[in-house]
Amino acid sequence: HLHSNMKKKVLLMGASGSGKTSMRSMIFSNNPASLTSRLGATIDVEQNHVRFLGDLILNLWDCGGQDAFMDSYLSIQRPTIFSHVGVMIYVFDVESREMAKDLEYYRDCLDGLSQFSKEANVFLLVHKMDLVRDGERSAVFQRKVVELEKASGDFPVKVQGTSIYDETLYKAWSSIVNTLIPNAQNLSRHLQIFAEACSATEVILFERATFLVIATSSSNASDPVTAHSLDSKRYERTSELIKAFKQSCSRLREEFHSLEMELAEFTAVLDEMTKNTYVLVVVHNPVVETAAIKMNIRMARWKFEELQGDSLVS
Amino acid sequence: MGPPQHQQQSYSNVVKPKQDVAVHRTKVILLGTRRSGKTSILQVLFKNLPPKQTFYLEPTMRVTKHAFDTVIPLEIWDCPGNITVDTLEAPLSDFSSIVFVIDIRDLYQQPVAKLVEFIVAACQVNRNINLEVFVHKAEKLQEDDKIENFRQIHERVMDRLADESPEYEQVPLNFHLTSVYDHSLQEAFSRVVHKLIDSLPYLEDLLNVFCSNTSSPKAFLFDTTSKLYVATDASPVDQATHNLCCDYLQMLNSFGPLYKSNASPDPRSGVFSSVPGAPPHPNTPPTPAESLDYLSSNLDPPPSASAKPLFYPSASTSLSPSHPGTTLTYHLVTPHLALLALLPTTVYEIRRGLVEWNVVWFREGVGEIWEVEKERSEGELA
Ligand SMILES: Nc1nc2c(ncn2[C@@H]2O[C@H](COP(=O)(O)OP(=O)(O)OP(=O)(O)O)[C@@H](O)[C@H]2O)c(=O)[nH]1
Ligand SMILES: Nc1nc2c(ncn2[C@@H]2O[C@H](COP(=O)(O)OP(=O)(O)O)[C@@H](O)[C@H]2O)c(=O)[nH]1
Ligand SMILES: [Mg+2]
Repeated sequence: HLHSNMKKKVLLMGASGSGKTSMRSMIFSNNPASLTSRLGATIDVEQNHVRFLGDLILNLWDCGGQDAFMDSYLSIQRPTIFSHVGVMIYVFDVESREMAKDLEYYRDCLDGLSQFSKEANVFLLVHKMDLVRDGERSAVFQRKVVELEKASGDFPVKVQGTSIYDETLYKAWSSIVNTLIPNAQNLSRHLQIFAEACSATEVILFERATFLVIATSSSNASDPVTAHSLDSKRYERTSELIKAFKQSCSRLREEFHSLEMELAEFTAVLDEMTKNTYVLVVVHNPVVETAAIKMNIRMARWKFEELQGDSLVS
Repeated sequence: MGPPQHQQQSYSNVVKPKQDVAVHRTKVILLGTRRSGKTSILQVLFKNLPPKQTFYLEPTMRVTKHAFDTVIPLEIWDCPGNITVDTLEAPLSDFSSIVFVIDIRDLYQQPVAKLVEFIVAACQVNRNINLEVFVHKAEKLQEDDKIENFRQIHERVMDRLADESPEYEQVPLNFHLTSVYDHSLQEAFSRVVHKLIDSLPYLEDLLNVFCSNTSSPKAFLFDTTSKLYVATDASPVDQATHNLCCDYLQMLNSFGPLYKSNASPDPRSGVFSSVPGAPPHPNTPPTPAESLDYLSSNLDPPPSASAKPLFYPSASTSLSPSHPGTTLTYHLVTPHLALLALLPTTVYEIRRGLVEWNVVWFREGVGEIWEVEKERSEGELA
């Protein structure tokens, strides 16, 4: 298989201090949340190319959010910034004291997009949700959604609440990168077949570098996973848990490689699927042994290498 | 060292905590000025409170007692900041250890004066009491300041003690740097607990044997929920390895509920946590506490409640796929204790049977020690 690299430009925008660079460094550079307080304000645009799923190249534009930079993006730099955008992620600090100004800049950026990149997907993140007390979180978020949808006019947007201190970060970013994988559906279908072959309740595919979820075996409502009624946050929690453990391995100059669990609740294997993905196979049937699951993963590898290449071609 | 003598079911009798049997609990008291972090320490260790949430803790107004069951039953007292030797509702002689918590940024006289007051009072009633000082919230300071403040606090306490009377210069005080934000707290509290477990040398022996039989460079016996280790082998504890083991436990603890199925609430009927309560070992001969000969004590297995073999949760993670690599293993050995070991991946993969055989043997040994400790704590009450 020969696949040319596919490039996607991703704009990260939002007021200064809203948390853009923090998120980027956690997702793509595996930095722990505790170190984000050391980040300085981003000066102008920091461009990064990150490889995702091997052939997909994300061209991340982390745009420093201070007023002077924003004014320049919207005027002189306008065509440079807003052309060829695949995705724009706009970050709002949930505790922002200057919401009116934030919204004004946001609307100006939407204008820029409709002028140069009509097809771009827009994701809005209401960030630092951890600062809101537990009981008030969903009410505060709902109010923000209303406010942001109103400000977006006809532009279809998706609003998500996030925090670098919990799994919401991974949920949001998984849904963002999923829009960049045109044939993720196809992967899901094959994961389902694979799950059946393993007698698995569920199979989850992660991108290797970020550990974001790119496909799962249980996409429809009638499958056994519903009957098991597993935790609804399991995908993003798994990303968070594995990322944290990988970090702690690297502090010991070790590299995380694979995980097998035969716990009271279930049996599972987390292992490399392809060069660029990891797979988690979760089994509730107590008869199935981890060795059998590992064997199945080994045998499925070549098939998924092939599928993965295709998944990026739309 | 022969093969495991008993069937695995022999431990089913210790699965259910027996609420109806009163036990003698070894007592530990936490002292320190207001807001030094005592309640936070307890909540993080024993109630799984996320460290960030300690911010919302209310001040402690009266003494609260936390029961904690590990190899031995403990009772940990959390006190209000203003408590004194006279207002404490129990004599200091009741406690096996005093843990004194000082905020590392608190270089004033007051906490040190209070600490010294308690030390003097404690030594008058119990020469053998363990005195531990947690220099706490250590993560707040940069490395240099941290060491400097630690040194100053240490020095002041020793000076004040010497002022009281030269005899107190000899009092063994143990200082620890701690923080709820990393595993230094677990490490320090583990060391506090070690001094209270009489059977520690036997547990250590079991770990040493396990390590030499499996070429393991390091093995711990961990309490799974608190992440305290109750024993480790003779090789020195390296902080990074200890942290990794704590993180590993934390991850495994989180995975369980995440993929727990409601459809099959009890897929492993023989699992520890779901074994029906068996009668409490009726015909075990009492072992004299003086002999402490745990390894050869011959406990008859009680009639087992279920015919199914017990299921013991386990896990392994392979690190650095390069040759020979390291595998970190987890094996539950009692309902609350797990053996965590670093193994060369080559050993784990090629000689898995050997490793598992040693785990069974280890589990037998820990089970017997545990039985004896339990009887003793129940017996002491009578
Ligand atoms: N409480 C909380 N703080 C956060 C969160 N995300 C980021 N922060 C903190 O917010 C501060 C600013 O983060 P940055 O990522 O540098 O902000 P930025 O959006 O890149 O700012 P500019 O580069 O100036 O545009 C840092 O101190 C982060 O630690 C979050 O989810 N919760
Ligand atoms: N930075 C830091 N703060 C801590 C630590 N432990 C406790 N605290 C904070 O110290 C404050 C007082 O804690 P608390 O447990 O109520 O103190 P107590 O009065 O001794 O019981 C709380 O705001 C905690 O969040 C720590 O290790 N590091
Ligand atoms: Mg920035």
